[in-house]
Amino acid sequence: MKTSNVIMNLKSAVNVCITAVLVTAGLLIVPSCRKSGVTEDGSSKPTTLIIRFENMVDTLPLILDSMLYENSSDDLYKVSDLQYFISDINLHRNDGLNYKALNNDGIHYIDARTPSTLYWTINASVPSGTFDSISFTFGLNAEKNYSNRFLNPPERDMNWPDILGGGYHYIKMNLSWKKTGMVRAYPFNFHLGIGQIYKGNVINTDSILNYVQNFFYVNLPASAFSISQGQTKFMVVTMNLNKWFSGENEFDFAKYPNMMMQNQTAMHNACLNGRDAFTVRFTSGGK
Amino acid sequence: MRFHVVLLVLAILLVFTGCNKDSQDATTSKPTPYVISIPKFFPTELNIPPDNPMTVEGVELGRYLFYDGRISGRTEPDSLMSCSTCHVQAHSFVCGIDNPRFPGGHPYGLTGILTPHFMLPMINLVWVNNGYLWNGSLAPGNPLQAKRRLEDICWMAIVAPHEMYGDTNRSTTLIQSINGYPELFEKAFGSRTVTVKNMGRAIAQFVRTLISADSRFDRFLEGKVQLSEKERKGYVLFMTETGGDCFHCHGGEGNPLFTTNLFYNNGMDSIFGDPNDRYGFTGNAMDVGAYVAPTLRNVAFTAPYMHDGRFKTLDEVINFYSSGVVWSSSINPLMHHVSTHGVQLTPSQKSDLKDFILTLTDSSFVTKTAFARPSGFPDEK
Repeated sequence: MKTSNVIMNLKSAVNVCITAVLVTAGLLIVPSCRKSGVTEDGSSKPTTLIIRFENMVDTLPLILDSMLYENSSDDLYKVSDLQYFISDINLHRNDGLNYKALNNDGIHYIDARTPSTLYWTINASVPSGTFDSISFTFGLNAEKNYSNRFLNPPERDMNWPDILGGGYHYIKMNLSWKKTGMVRAYPFNFHLGIGQIYKGNVINTDSILNYVQNFFYVNLPASAFSISQGQTKFMVVTMNLNKWFSGENEFDFAKYPNMMMQNQTAMHNACLNGRDAFTVRFTSGGK
Repeated sequence: MRFHVVLLVLAILLVFTGCNKDSQDATTSKPTPYVISIPKFFPTELNIPPDNPMTVEGVELGRYLFYDGRISGRTEPDSLMSCSTCHVQAHSFVCGIDNPRFPGGHPYGLTGILTPHFMLPMINLVWVNNGYLWNGSLAPGNPLQAKRRLEDICWMAIVAPHEMYGDTNRSTTLIQSINGYPELFEKAFGSRTVTVKNMGRAIAQFVRTLISADSRFDRFLEGKVQLSEKERKGYVLFMTETGGDCFHCHGGEGNPLFTTNLFYNNGMDSIFGDPNDRYGFTGNAMDVGAYVAPTLRNVAFTAPYMHDGRFKTLDEVINFYSSGVVWSSSINPLMHHVSTHGVQLTPSQKSDLKDFILTLTDSSFVTKTAFARPSGFPDEK
């Protein structure tokens, strides 16, 4: 074999090796590039709905652990914990077709103390077009609300005792309240979940006659919007805490013995009020 | 051709920058993965940092170090101190109220200085995600980078005046000199050099294996046994707001760890002065007087109770929650019975509640060989 042929063969072999290494490197690099948002097939960006959950007390933003708020019963109060579930967000179109957000099985957990929970990004095939309204379930419906669904915190810590109906708290709002002029503020656990009907209205778990699903649907007022293909739409869902304590049933903290989980009347009344606690607005950014 | 060479060099760099030191070590030592079996209904998310994966060799080394008094850097019999000096398996890894060395169950270090708090049991720590210690300060939010993880407990214990009061160089030098340890470090971490970092990693791995999931209540949840009538009544009290309302902080069937691992001012005091409460870490006024809710698993073995060991018996604890709760401006709202100083249980209810809590006793945890002192240390084999 001539020397020139040997050199050519060597060059060829080197080129094959280089190509193999480059292909391997490319395979290593490309998956990491996909994470940056460039789709593999070069298709357009997904249509995305970003929901921010905002907790207010009338016109004031909720600041935890601050005795800044007053309800319609003239109770001063502060909130130390606010945790709740929103589920089954539905976007309703005027042609009768609905789009249901399926992220996380359609369940979103919100904790006022954990900023990351205040956002819910829905980008799984949100259709473009005009929607007439938005609705959701406050809490979890009967089908979704079963015990040991969530094994990990923080959702796990919303568990609702099996003896009281099981599943999870829809909302845990732990607050302290006092009347004007009182020195001490006393705790109130505003907790909603499955209710119980007790024989003779005597609270005894051995005499539970039935359980009551207290979850409810919320139809957000003035929630029509349009979204175009590839657009990112920002939506702010506001919960006004004071609405829970006013409306059809004025809610005086002094009226209940600091807790509600075994008081179906209190939970029912609160849920009637809660239907009006939510509003929505659309923004051009994440604020 | 030159272009190809440049690309080749770049490609090689790209490939090799993905290989960190740990993975190189792993190649040489090839430790065996240690798989934690997650009990039914337990959380599936484990607190195992990516840079300290569980391995059989790491756990084995960690067990030796946990029990070896020479980790203190000393060799005189009177000066030996290890984790196990205070963390006693028979008491779910607290020292125990009947400990002959630590009267009343309050441990102290080699120089006689008492620990700031009484002890927390070492049970199911692999599921702690909110910070370790009574105030949760051993957490990612700690401004001191070296005090954020379970791995950091090792060096902290070696130097703390109320524990070993040594220095890490002395400890690592001594462990390095002991026959058998360099080989164990090599098997676990790929290097024969003993470092305090790898000591911490090994001990943390061992501690993460300390899992309790074999109580009568666990078997009840699995449908294998029934609770007695008194235990059942106690269980209802535990799980209801109108009863003892224990579950909001201490879990239950929906949280079999029997703790949320969160922090509460549970109404024990109205005047506060402990610089190491939760407030001492967070600066949040609502955290004054707050401490982590300990797990109730094996609580029968972990007296005395509370951060300051003020209650010697379970009966005293139940009495406190029944009628001893006091108001303060930072009392946790979950203590909603404070206006009546507690949940006001009858003597019969207290007895039922205690019976239920005792179903959380896991005797296998306090006798399991894998958690016990090794039959011999590496230089004794």
